[in-house]
This record gives sequence, structure tokens and C-alpha cells, in this order.
Amino acid sequence: MNAASPTLEVRSLAKRFPPRNGQAEAPWILADLDFSVATDEFLTMVGPSGAGKTTLLNIIAQVDAASGGEITFRGEAMNPVSGTLKPGWGCQIGYVTQDDNLLPWRTLIDNVTFPLRVQGRLDDAAMERVTTLMRTVNLVGFERYYPHELSGGMRKRASLIRTLAYDPPIILMDEPFGAVDAQTRTALQQDLLRLWNLGRKTIIFVTHDIGEAIALGDRCLVLSRSPAKVVAEHRITIKRPRDLSNVYKLEGFGDLYELVRKELL
Amino acid sequence: MNLRLTTDRIVIFVVLIAFWQLCSLEFGQHWFSSPLKFVDKFVELGLNGEIVFHMTYTVKAAIFGFLVGGIPGALLPFVLRRLPVVNAILDPYFIAGYGVPKLALAPLFVLWFGIDLEPKVALVASIVSFLVFFSTMAGVQSVNAQFVSMARVAGANESHIARHIVWPGAIPYSFAGFRIAAPYSIGAAVVGELISSNRGLGYMIQAGATDFDTTTVFVSLGTLTMIVVLVNICVAHAERWLLRWRPRTGAGAAWVPGA
Repeated sequence: MNAASPTLEVRSLAKRFPPRNGQAEAPWILADLDFSVATDEFLTMVGPSGAGKTTLLNIIAQVDAASGGEITFRGEAMNPVSGTLKPGWGCQIGYVTQDDNLLPWRTLIDNVTFPLRVQGRLDDAAMERVTTLMRTVNLVGFERYYPHELSGGMRKRASLIRTLAYDPPIILMDEPFGAVDAQTRTALQQDLLRLWNLGRKTIIFVTHDIGEAIALGDRCLVLSRSPAKVVAEHRITIKRPRDLSNVYKLEGFGDLYELVRKELL
Repeated sequence: MNLRLTTDRIVIFVVLIAFWQLCSLEFGQHWFSSPLKFVDKFVELGLNGEIVFHMTYTVKAAIFGFLVGGIPGALLPFVLRRLPVVNAILDPYFIAGYGVPKLALAPLFVLWFGIDLEPKVALVASIVSFLVFFSTMAGVQSVNAQFVSMARVAGANESHIARHIVWPGAIPYSFAGFRIAAPYSIGAAVVGELISSNRGLGYMIQAGATDFDTTTVFVSLGTLTMIVVLVNICVAHAERWLLRWRPRTGAGAAWVPGA
């Protein structure tokens, strides 16, 4: 891992929303947030609910503006405060949101190929890539189904490979497995690791689930309550490939879990 | 459809016909015609081509008016979505325009466009356009912001967003407008003919009433009802096909008359 040249660097990032009626000053959601992520690194961030995790990812994805600070992406200043927002930074920053956001009027395959289609990159090679991804996450045979005909887990998989299909160099993930049952969740996590092994890329994965943060990542940042700050950083040395069905028995998992749990209190 | 439903519907039909017969016996055929005379007249006018002749005229006015009013009514909200300031300025005028009782404009349309098809088309269009405009506008404004955000991140430009997200999301709303506007367009065409015309089902009603020929009036009304029912079924099927991505059961399922 090349820590000297990070893919993305966030410096003294701050955010607050405009004050509501009668409010003199709105509270800070993010304050003085610093971190960086190296190329091909799987960075997880764990923080309590309402810590501003989604706000942070929205700012990095350029969906929302920051109130202060700097972000550098591949050596280029993103100007998150004053510049005009460029959502997705020219298709270089992928974003898997909490909700799957599949378009209900499009079939599964049309949803997955949607970014490729609007980017004008839906050629045979891209289609082959999509087929491989569909096979990896067991969605073959459901191409012509509409989202409402699919299970929650299948929709999550679809939204995941929709972003992977156009291969952005960095992908942000905002609790993508939040709303599914525990078993599906483990399966989805395993799918994600398998996909990540297929073609390594930089990932920032945000969650409130400590186990998930440790099981998936190369490195885990612990965020404080709002305003969010990085309170601790852990390098996760559990070796890959990881079998998530018994990750709790893996060496070092238990101690790290306890440590992070205390830091979150 | 289950058997019970069918038999119950037939029972109600028979009761209604019996009630009609009763009225005609009680108050005289002069005022109420009678089911039998109705059938006789219907067959007679049906065979000599008179119904088809008048019906064609009315339906033509309704269709032209529906298109002339409905197409701009359905497209304008998409233009205004991109011009929020213009939309805010025009909003009270749209509401005022919607408030004008359109049927009261009929004499004006006769003055402007004469007594042929044009004034009927204008009347139908003036009603349909507002109904379709307001329902489509509601759909355009209720666009899912998260879908738009997702699409932008994925590299979609404004025209992609309009085509792939705003438009399909607004179709159910447009159809709510079409469903209401379709029978109104037939109704408006008939009112236009009642006011001034020498053909059309509205004219047939007018002429029948002037001659104290209630049977002809009833035949015209019966024909009109059948047309409206047919139109409703067509709109419902078109809607079902266009919205086939929606779940059929549960709260989101559309009620499809006759389908």
C-alpha cells in the first residue's frame, strides 16, 4: 500500500447546515475532520448513528457542499466549499447509498447498465463485464425482473454492481447493507469482498456496525459523535481471504472489537 | 371475474331496465320512451348509418381536442421544471386559467371559430389541457431527489435525467389526468354541439328534444355512454401497459375499470 500518495485526502473538513428558523447558529455536523485513503485500500469508518457519516460521503461525492476544509483527489483539489459541485467528479467517484435507489420502471439489467448507458460506454466489453458481475453475485436469470419483484438482498447486490460496472477508481459506500437481515448481510459482505478481490479498488465504507467495519476493512477509522472527528485508527491485520461466516473466531477480531466498542462510548 | 359478480351485475341491470319501464308506464312513453322503443330506434338508426355519422363527428372533435390540449398540457411541466422562476411567475395565471368555467367559453369559441369542428375542438382542448397539465405537474414535482442524485453521480446529464427519471416517474400522474380528461373531452364535444351544430351526438340530442322525440335522445345518450366506457377501457389498458413495472397488488395497484 502506498501511503505516500493517497488517492483521496480530506483536510480539516467542516460542515453545518443553514440555521433553522429561530436558531442563531446551526450545530456543526463535521468539524476538523482529517483522513486519507490509499490506492486500492479498503477503508472502513465506524461511528454512532447521527455522527454525520452520510454527510461526509455526500460531500466527497460532491452531492453536497462543505462549509470548510479541503479535499484532494488524485492530486487534484476538489474545492468542496466554494466551487460548483460536480457530482461523482466526472464518474470517478462511485457512490453506493443506503437506499438501493434502483429505478422502479427499469428491469434489473437496465438498472445495472444505467450508468454505462448514460456515459455512452455500453459496448460489448462492458456488457461482458456486467455479465461477470451478475454471475459473481448470483443475479443471473433475474435480468428481466423489475425491482419490486426482487428481494431486498438482490436489490442491494444490484445497486452494488451498478456502481462496480462502470469501474470508478474510488467507491463510497454508505451502510449499503443496513436494512437487511443478519444472514443476508453476511452473504452480501462476502459478495462484496469477492467483488473487491476480483478487481481491487479504493473503497470508503461507512457503517455503524463494528463487526462489519473490522471484518471488511484494511484499516478502520473510529468517528466520534457529532461533530464527527476521527478518534482512533486501527490497521486490521486479519489476513485475506477472510471467511466471514466465522470472522468472530479469527485471530485478533475479538480484542479489536472490544477496543473499538469502548472508543465509541 | 367470478360468477357471483357477473350474476349480481346482471340483476342490477334488469332492475334498472324494469325501473325505466315502470317510469315509462307511469309517466307516459312521451316523456320516458321505453326500453323496447329504445332498442327499435337504436337498431333503426344503427342500420341506416345515422348513429355512425353523428358519432364520428363527436368522437373526431373529442380526439382532436384531446390531442391539441393534452400534448402541450403533458409537455409544459417538463419545460417549466427547468425554469423554476418562470414557473413561479406564471403559477397564479395557471390557477386562474383552471378556474375559468370552460363551458361558459363555448359561445366565444363559436364567435371566433364558426360552427364547424373548430369551436368544439377548442372547447375540449381548453378543458383537457388544464386537467393534464396540473396532474403532470404534480408528478414532475414529486420526482425522487435521491434518484436524481444517484443519476448525476453516475454521469447522467439533464436530458438523461428528464428522460429516464422525471418522465417515467410522472407518467402515473399524467395518466390520472388522462383518465379524468378522457370522458370530459367527449362531454365537452357534446356541449359544443348542443350550442351550435348541425351534426354530432349533441346535435342529435338537441334535435330529438326539440321534436319531443325522447327515444332519439335516449339513443344518443346510450351511444355516448358506450363511447365513454370504451374510452375508459382503452385508457386503462394503455396505462396498465405503460406502468407494467408497478406492483399489481397492494396499495399501489391501479384500479382498472373493465380490465
